[in-house]
Amino acid sequence: MVDLEQYLPILIFLLIAGGLSAAFVFLPMGVARLTGTHNPSAEKLSEYECGFPAFEDPRSQFDVRFYLIAILFIIFDLEAAFLFPWAVSLDLTGWPGWITMMVFLFELAVGLAYAWKKGALEWE
Amino acid sequence: MIQTIAFYLFAAMVIASGAFTILARNPVHSVLWLILAFFNAAGLMVIAGAEFIAMLLIIVYVGAIAVLFLFVVMMLDIDFAELRAGFMKNFPLGILIALVLLAELVLGVGAYRAGALHLGTPDGSAAPLLGRSNIESIGALLYGRYLFLFESAGIILLVAMIGAIVLTHRGARAVRGQQNISKQIARKPSEATVNTRPEVGQGVEL
Amino acid sequence: MIGIEHFVVVSSILFVLGVLGIFLNRKNVIVILMAIELILLSVNINFVAFSAFLGDLTGQIFAMFVLTVAAGEAAIGLAILVIYFRGRGTIAVDSVDRLKG
Repeated sequence: MVDLEQYLPILIFLLIAGGLSAAFVFLPMGVARLTGTHNPSAEKLSEYECGFPAFEDPRSQFDVRFYLIAILFIIFDLEAAFLFPWAVSLDLTGWPGWITMMVFLFELAVGLAYAWKKGALEWE
Repeated sequence: MIQTIAFYLFAAMVIASGAFTILARNPVHSVLWLILAFFNAAGLMVIAGAEFIAMLLIIVYVGAIAVLFLFVVMMLDIDFAELRAGFMKNFPLGILIALVLLAELVLGVGAYRAGALHLGTPDGSAAPLLGRSNIESIGALLYGRYLFLFESAGIILLVAMIGAIVLTHRGARAVRGQQNISKQIARKPSEATVNTRPEVGQGVEL
Repeated sequence: MIGIEHFVVVSSILFVLGVLGIFLNRKNVIVILMAIELILLSVNINFVAFSAFLGDLTGQIFAMFVLTVAAGEAAIGLAILVIYFRGRGTIAVDSVDRLKG
């Protein structure tokens, strides 16, 4: 169990951020309604001049190459996550900890070299 | 007091978003509910004192895994309505099995609470907090006692990476970016053309 | 005061929800993979709760390993899903009945 009071600044930050973003979204809408400028009609909502109707479904298919990049991102994300406790506890673990992390980094470097060699990082 | 309120808030939210994850009609909504479930689970872990695991949950699960799911849902053009065809048919059986499983688990928790067995008998082998921050203690333990497990985690990541590349990479196609300019410039006429003197009545070999 | 039973009950409900998700969405592999992520999350909550209440950090170390395995599982599972969809044009589980692709 931790002392949750340490998280009070984060809570205040979240409240202020949420309040500000809600204000930016809803205040113009409310002002528009109150001042009477909010008066939609079919003619007003239709596309005009530079606007045009949507060409296609917004859920277009992604390319598979995005997926490979996302996989590599996951792997190196986890690697970075493992680096945090290593970095702060290096004075406690000493040389064995250092060597361990170097072996770990070497393993992932092998993976990166493989991805590079196979051309998974190429974007044409 | 505030811990109790926070716990019940996070617990209710994690269970509700877990339920919406499996019940949502649209897989994109499922992914978004899953992200909410991870956030609230991270809150539960902060209450339990595991601050580093909570951070990891948000970085890895929300930042990477959920985004990967979202990518796949967007990447595949699937008629999801058709995939829900057996939903109502499986509903009674699924609910039945879930209730039986839940009853067993709650019975187990109740039995534990009745004091049938004692967990946490201190025999000196536990790894306590070192009086430092959570992340420092985790680092000392992970890179000290669990060093080889950590290396095998690295091997798992390597295998996952290579496996994903082997499965999804379509191989090098002849594309524009593979032109080797220096090789083209360094090319000399002597190695580009071969002067053969074919004899009369025989084939030409280059 | 929050005891360990509270955490265990939450994690068991989450586990049951994951199992139920596998049953209900028997055709949709993506939701099945998400249900497996829910199950792994409930395992992680259990690990962390017992680690906190027994004063033993080993549980949190293993939660990190579970996280690693979950990432690998998601990566490989979705890669299989992608190539399966590329070859077959659907992701329905019950059409996976040929071993030789």
